[in-house]
Amino acid sequence: MTHYDFEVTGSKVARCHIKVDMVNDNFLELIGEIIGPPDTAYDGGKFKLEINIPDTYPFNPPKVKFVTKIWHPNISSVTGAICLDILKDQWAAAMTLRTVLLSLQALLAAAEPDDPQDAVVAKQYKENRKTFTQTARHWTNVYANGPHRECELEKILEQAKNMGFDEHKARVALSSSDWNLERATESLLTS
Amino acid sequence: MGNCLKAQSNDDISLLRGHDSQDSVEQALGPPPPYQEHVQQRMPVYHPAPNVSRTASQLTEEEQIKIAKRLGLISHLPTGIYDGSSKKGKECVICMGDFAVGEPLRILPCMHSYHKDCIDDWLMRSFTCPSCMEPVDAALLTTYETS
Repeated sequence: MTHYDFEVTGSKVARCHIKVDMVNDNFLELIGEIIGPPDTAYDGGKFKLEINIPDTYPFNPPKVKFVTKIWHPNISSVTGAICLDILKDQWAAAMTLRTVLLSLQALLAAAEPDDPQDAVVAKQYKENRKTFTQTARHWTNVYANGPHRECELEKILEQAKNMGFDEHKARVALSSSDWNLERATESLLTS
Repeated sequence: MGNCLKAQSNDDISLLRGHDSQDSVEQALGPPPPYQEHVQQRMPVYHPAPNVSRTASQLTEEEQIKIAKRLGLISHLPTGIYDGSSKKGKECVICMGDFAVGEPLRILPCMHSYHKDCIDDWLMRSFTCPSCMEPVDAALLTTYETS
């Protein structure tokens, strides 16, 4: 029996909305999933995570990144890399995949904009919270199958698409420029 | 005190070698815990910092001293044999295995206990309790001051 067979099983899992599956019967490569916490911009979204277990586990932390695209100050909107202390220097051998996934869920509910992974998102979070929340909810709807649509943002995105831009690139440019179509167009043309 | 950084070359770490022979040490440790089976090596590997793994001959002098000090401090922490009483907890939260009667345990100053092999491996990387994050050296010093 391997160490982490035990970790995520149990009746609490269903209530916390986290799960872990194996990839190719290889228990060093796992796919995790967390559901966005209620009353946040990520509410109801299904976020997939790539989890790699090092040989030295549990003495070193698992390597975790988001596969599902997400708009969050502590997660790269480009690579899905996560800035979370327990995945780095604050790891402890008593932690489990369950505590990691629950910590990530907690991170979605409480961002740390002063310790950002994605500077653009963190700036928006601090300076324009309403736009940040709308953007995060829109990304959750589009990439994580979240239930809440942001019609206002979708209209602006439609305009950009009609100009011939790729949908994802246009979404990134608009999100990064507080949904100002003129500034987004400019950055799309110069990139 | 019996510090014993085991290495094949005697030159640079001769000062740190104790009197324990390799055989007796390995006997005392017993079989490796299951999660270590696949990384079992003849040469012991040390961790001067988390995420850094080196064999004894690759360590700098400073790292050797740090590791020797750490080994010394660990040897001061109380150990015990699990006797089936639930006072010490029933499970080692590092390997998640249940304690079996007769297994050697180590008890940290915060009273959290683990399989001796499991916690010693962790303490070489980070000198904190994996359950409560209490720094072990601070607690050790307090113990000295009050006793």
